[in-house]
Amino acid sequence: MTSTPRLLNRILLGILGLKLLVVGVLLILLAAVPAVAAWWHSWSKGVSDSAAAVFEATQFPGRHGSWLWIVLALAVVLLIVLMVAWIAQQGKGRTDLLLAAEDPGGVPGDIRIGGGVAEQALKNALADRPDLAGATVAIYSVKGQPALKLRLHPRPGVAPQAVAAEAADLVDALSEVVGLRTPVLVHIAAGARTRFSRAERVR
Amino acid sequence: MSSVVEQHNEAAGEPAQAGSGAHAAGIDMRRVLQRETHSSRAVAALIAGSLVIVLCLYVLLESAVRAVGQPPWLIDPQTAAERITALPSGVPPLLLGAAGAVIAAVGLFFFLNAVLPGRRARHLLHDPRIAVVVDDEVIAAALARSARLAANVTQEQVMVVVSQRQVVVNVRPTSGVPVSENAILHAVEEELQAMGPVPMPQVTVNLSTSGVVGA
Repeated sequence: MTSTPRLLNRILLGILGLKLLVVGVLLILLAAVPAVAAWWHSWSKGVSDSAAAVFEATQFPGRHGSWLWIVLALAVVLLIVLMVAWIAQQGKGRTDLLLAAEDPGGVPGDIRIGGGVAEQALKNALADRPDLAGATVAIYSVKGQPALKLRLHPRPGVAPQAVAAEAADLVDALSEVVGLRTPVLVHIAAGARTRFSRAERVR
Repeated sequence: MSSVVEQHNEAAGEPAQAGSGAHAAGIDMRRVLQRETHSSRAVAALIAGSLVIVLCLYVLLESAVRAVGQPPWLIDPQTAAERITALPSGVPPLLLGAAGAVIAAVGLFFFLNAVLPGRRARHLLHDPRIAVVVDDEVIAAALARSARLAANVTQEQVMVVVSQRQVVVNVRPTSGVPVSENAILHAVEEELQAMGPVPMPQVTVNLSTSGVVGA
């Protein structure tokens, strides 16, 4: 439910992976095939010569050194900034507000219901159940709208459909209290905590 | 084969539509479920981003050291370029090949991460009121429990593997106690029907020929 940019992830990972793959295969071929080495010598010679010519043509007026270095350094810095921005986009989307609405009544002001309400209510309702090893509640902003994600960790052997039905009952009760139907995703998950806990033998 | 695929697609669309009907308008629950059953590749993106940042920082460092006129830290850019141009000579071919293999493997990891569908080991559950995703491990545990009760064996004698389209139930019976394969199959299928995961997997039961003594 996070707003991770999935398409961007795929595109950037694909570009990087393809580049690394090409470089790696080229290195292997250089080490193994003499013909490739000969081709590489002539090709890289040409490239480095033309690069040297470009640097020669972009000298500072009246000083030694090329201003292309500064451009390159700026480009590298820009690349770093872009990468940081990309990483910062991963896993975003958590929010604190379950509801933010204008009060249609005569009293001036807005209504805000914090996510803690849903979190505490659902966690308390699920706390002393023997068939659940744990539960977490999180609120995500999906396209600007709050949505509830309820992650339940049942003990091994508990039927997930029963857990889902009871979660639906709880969500119904909650939406009655809050007065608004929030979209809910229930994730019935396995994890380290459930794996090592005892199975529910008597129900 | 094609009919199976069609069935799956129809089945996959069904709960999402029911889900979006029951929810407040605005959020496309089908899209949320699609995102929930597929990997976001956040971890790979994190690794890739960090890798590029570290490389860029190193390049910046060496250029800055050179610009200031200090001796290089590892190698200065000019020498590096010359070495790369001269490549097969100057480096032992075994080392060069190994480095190439490592780089190619890392590249392949990122590339496959980008290209493969990245399906997670999860199923959807049909519920008229809420959208539900279940880890395959939870489904396996529930099916193992019903198989165990039907076969009347202990927990350790049953192993269930759940994948996208298939459930494999492996049972090792207790020596001398007959176990009915049909009964197990029936119990597991009944449990699966009650659960109703999407896509619905096919059940296979394997009875081990060697029994367990004293279980």
